[in-house]
Amino acid sequence: MRPSSPTSLSLSRDAFRNGLFAGIAGLSLAGTVAGCAPSSADNTPGTAGAPPAPSAGSSSLAASGTGYKDGTYSADGNYVSPNGTETVGVQLTLAAGKVSDVQITQHPSNPNTRKFQGQFAGGIAAQVVGRNIDELNVSKVAGSSLTSGGFNQAVAKIKSEAQ
Amino acid sequence: MSDWEEFSFQGIGTDWAVSTPLPLPAPLRTHLLDRVEKFDGDWSRFRSDSLVAELAREPGRYEFPDEAAPLGELYRLLYRITGGAMTPLIGGSLERLGYDAAYSLQPAGPPLPAPEWESALAWSGTVVAAGAPVVLDIGAAGKGLLVDLVAAELEAAGVGGFVIDASGDLLVRGAGPVSVALEHPYNPEQAIGMIHLDGRALCASAANRRAWGDGLHHVLDGTTGQPVRTAVATWTLADTAMVADALATALFFVPGATLQETFDFSWLTVFSDGSAAYSAEFEGTLFT
Repeated sequence: MRPSSPTSLSLSRDAFRNGLFAGIAGLSLAGTVAGCAPSSADNTPGTAGAPPAPSAGSSSLAASGTGYKDGTYSADGNYVSPNGTETVGVQLTLAAGKVSDVQITQHPSNPNTRKFQGQFAGGIAAQVVGRNIDELNVSKVAGSSLTSGGFNQAVAKIKSEAQ
Repeated sequence: MSDWEEFSFQGIGTDWAVSTPLPLPAPLRTHLLDRVEKFDGDWSRFRSDSLVAELAREPGRYEFPDEAAPLGELYRLLYRITGGAMTPLIGGSLERLGYDAAYSLQPAGPPLPAPEWESALAWSGTVVAAGAPVVLDIGAAGKGLLVDLVAAELEAAGVGGFVIDASGDLLVRGAGPVSVALEHPYNPEQAIGMIHLDGRALCASAANRRAWGDGLHHVLDGTTGQPVRTAVATWTLADTAMVADALATALFFVPGATLQETFDFSWLTVFSDGSAAYSAEFEGTLFT
């Protein structure tokens, strides 16, 4: 993948498989990575020698969820905040080919960022807090207006570049 | 509305769902799809066959469809109120940052300020004229505008009650209160509040999506071409989705209280430090 791709997750060698990468990329793009700035570029030299992905097409992989190996995987993502480059850890647990748990690990270097990340990783503090949508009785969700087919195209592109 | 019929489709690059008490007749469904397709064909800067693409290739005087009139007025107003930060001429700046028709996501150079409206563009009613090629981007209001246009088609066809959901931008007409969760800006599994929507549009904007590169994101300040940083998520309530949509973006540039001097709307802004500011109608909707 190219350095400035949006998903920017550097995966440990054993975790890097095409399908898993796709899963993590999707999560990252869905806004799981905490922090007060978007996730940012990270080179992925460690992935260059990774074994080639299984032969299934990337789109069907993403759609069906097949080809994911159960287990717990960790990856770091970098982003550039006004305070400089920061790192956030994402831990995924896969069961039966689906993501069953997501943990955000905070290891920011800057005290201000630590403060912001703490607030967001634990839900929004200060004046507002998060509650699980599943536990609410709602018909609709109003959120970022940016679910975009074009953005999904970009994800597909990254996946192909990551092969 | 849990037992309502839902008509789902893809339009202008996103997912749509129209919910009605009774299923929409097939001809009306086709009509709605055609309307959405026409809008895309007129306004998309991602399509080489659109009017906007023509304007970007060949300067001149172009007749746009009817919706151009209210859209142009709204943009002109917001251009003034935000001191030029919010502009339909941001397309070139977005392309420079990699948000181009090919989704290269590669910055092509330093941030590019948008050209000044007065010198680059004459937008009067449905006529748009430019002396040099300009990349028009109506992204800040376009989706909301299309929600309104779809609503108008439904009403013209005699559909009395409906909920239009354009991936999180909502319009409820004649359908009683619909409970809506306000999505957590950093965790789509969570909500930071809940609101009952009735007879109005609720739109949202967030700075953390469509994020790429070195902290670049899609909300740009037209005076510098740089991304905006402090507000991370905004919500607005207004009578039309076009206004609600545009003001959700405007809140990244101008405090809600200032916008309220010009617009009849309600607003909620969540900042990067986790604090929030809001107008009266959002009082009590946030979880604390």
